[in-house]
Amino acid sequence: MHRRAVGIDLGTTNSLITASCGSGVEALPDADGLQLLPSVVQYRKNQTPVVGAIARAAAIDDPENTILSVKRLLGKSRSEILSQDPFLPYQFDDSRDDGAPAIVTTAGVMDPVQISADILRVLCDRAEVCLAGELEGVVITVPAYFDDAQRQQTKDAASLAGLRVLRLLNEPTAAAVAYGLDTKDQGNIVVFDLGGGTFDVSLLSLQRGVFEVLATGGDTHLGGDDFDRVVSDWLMQASVHTGTLSHSKRIELLYLANQIKHQLSETESVDVSYGAWTGKLDAELFTELTRELVNRTINTCRRVLRDAKLTTDAIDNIVLVGGATRMPVIRNAVAEFFGKSPLVNIDPDKVVAIGAGIQADVLIGNKSEHNFLLLDVNPLSLGIETMGELVEKIIPRNTTIPVAKAQEFTTFKDGQTVMSLHVVQGERELVSDCRSLARFELRGIPPMVAGAAKIRVTFQVDADGLLSVTAQELSTNTKSEIQIKPSYGLNADAIEKMLESSRDHAHADMESRALREAQLEATQLIDALASARKVDSRLLSAEEASRIADVVARLQSAISDGSSNQIHSLSEELNQVSGDFAARRMDLTIGEALRGHSIDEIEHSTDE
Amino acid sequence: MQQIKQNYFQLFKLSESFELDVSTLAENYRQLQLAAHPDRFAAASETEKMRAVQHSSYLNEAYDTLKSTLRRAAYLLSLHDVDVEQVKQSDLGMDLLLEQIQLREALDELPKDSSALPALENLKAEVTVKLANMERFFADELQRREFDSAKKCFHEMQFIHKLLAEIDSSEEQRLGY
Repeated sequence: MHRRAVGIDLGTTNSLITASCGSGVEALPDADGLQLLPSVVQYRKNQTPVVGAIARAAAIDDPENTILSVKRLLGKSRSEILSQDPFLPYQFDDSRDDGAPAIVTTAGVMDPVQISADILRVLCDRAEVCLAGELEGVVITVPAYFDDAQRQQTKDAASLAGLRVLRLLNEPTAAAVAYGLDTKDQGNIVVFDLGGGTFDVSLLSLQRGVFEVLATGGDTHLGGDDFDRVVSDWLMQASVHTGTLSHSKRIELLYLANQIKHQLSETESVDVSYGAWTGKLDAELFTELTRELVNRTINTCRRVLRDAKLTTDAIDNIVLVGGATRMPVIRNAVAEFFGKSPLVNIDPDKVVAIGAGIQADVLIGNKSEHNFLLLDVNPLSLGIETMGELVEKIIPRNTTIPVAKAQEFTTFKDGQTVMSLHVVQGERELVSDCRSLARFELRGIPPMVAGAAKIRVTFQVDADGLLSVTAQELSTNTKSEIQIKPSYGLNADAIEKMLESSRDHAHADMESRALREAQLEATQLIDALASARKVDSRLLSAEEASRIADVVARLQSAISDGSSNQIHSLSEELNQVSGDFAARRMDLTIGEALRGHSIDEIEHSTDE
Repeated sequence: MQQIKQNYFQLFKLSESFELDVSTLAENYRQLQLAAHPDRFAAASETEKMRAVQHSSYLNEAYDTLKSTLRRAAYLLSLHDVDVEQVKQSDLGMDLLLEQIQLREALDELPKDSSALPALENLKAEVTVKLANMERFFADELQRREFDSAKKCFHEMQFIHKLLAEIDSSEEQRLGY
């Protein structure tokens, strides 16, 4: 049976949804046949929000209720957003003490997670029409440089929209997948992703279906917009404009510069008139004006090659992503540096979404015959604060994920029972230059003399690039209680509350949707368990089997006439009673992959 | 949940020695990840997913350790109960200290602009040859079960690795990265 899974590129300016339909993965159109959905949401009193082109048109007349580029707000605090862009037309809700950038609209207070969820809902409604049925899972792409908070909030937005996230996928990795599977290549691929405001380079190796990200790099302050600025500066200078420009004149000038830039991707030379002045900008002059910007992109490529310890002749393919890579100056510079022409046969605006669609198809199990796997890396280092506000790196950037690293700490005072840890993300030496991720409090440390307690803290980054932390006191084997206080944005309780309130009030169909989902998940769980028992019944004791059968029976009756909460709690119970069985099976799976022994046996043999 | 303690070499079907075939290591690593990665369990229960994250993390840790010659050396020593974190004065000979100072001075004395690049290349080549010799020596000492001497050699290699990283970053500074 073909299962319905989609890939979503939740973009800053436009979003796309893709799915495999017959011949291959394609972008799904709306009722008017349009594939790109502008990432704009307009809120109206007592009505459902408007998303897309109509909302974008409304931005001029109704700026305070129309949210553009919500992706730039995700995972950030109000103060961060205001310092990065002080001229936003929105009214932020200052009463929120969590620092979240909630926007006051006529339909109520909306935060970036809710706004992103509204975009996701429209995309998924579109997909459910196209695919004639409910979605079973989604893969959502995120920029490689997205930090933990931005990733977490992307995932939160998806759960708020009632979607099951199979995986968050880094955008450049998605692009490589789109090409890699297409061409069935072996070898090294460079993904060159120049968007409106950011630049990313990833280097991947593909060997018999396994994509391995070798290194990533980028510049969060370099993008197509910078090329517009260079042209507008030239216009000012060439037209001998003196004095300062008003805000709207400045926007007008940038708009003109953007048009000239686009025309230069089509023709050799463009006639320009600005006010009373007329002139000409040709490819040669444009190349000269943008040389410094282009060099910065090539320098980043050089840096990434260095990190991976490779030279340009080891690169088999270069993939271009992002509208700004349509510029001939970029294409020429890339071709010159790598000594070969970049691949351009997939639309650079769609390539990320197509890769996400392919990955969704694989993860949901539609392509089980393929040996296909993505091994991604964490693009930013994770560290903790030490004495003197310095950062000690725990998991350096470009480490393959998932990854777990344990670190031991001790107490510095007699009888100390509490210890605080501050986790940060970034490459700099000082805590204040990195992004604060979370503050943890380890409680319940048994009182001992200073330095006697040994606390092992394990940092686990999962395949989505998300961090979780556990701690244990080793000398007495007490599990320390951990309090997680995210440094910004929403905490887990707030998310739960939002989920609840959206189930209760906001959308009438939410409970029925939650119920259908719970039923679907529970049925999948029962099916998975049944097929597991068929294969590995010898791993199950009679007592366990009867306990499992009991919960399965109760769950089955809840599926037919219970609430989503009942189904959830029984599913949870089933997970618990079958947990040991699942663990034994997992050990066997990997054990068989090793050499036909279970991990237990192997442990034994090495102990001797 | 039980801890995984599988020996890294056994995990990748390699014999326990310092010299190993990196391409076999990489190929076996990929085969194991194909079976163990959490993406293989996207539709499975939470328990299975968590277990997959653990297994996959363990494979990454093991691969990361064996891939790097320095970490591989430290791991081999740890298998023989030699703790490389504990450094005694006698682990670091006078000759090593003197050589350290000389090499570091050579690095510091280079001009701070791109004119130093050829000299940096030369220094790197020289140090790389030194490292290759040390690695051969380490492999021999380990085979002969001369752990004290192997440990001393490990600390020398550690120093050379640090120096190579410094040469790299001086090169990057002068290239304007």
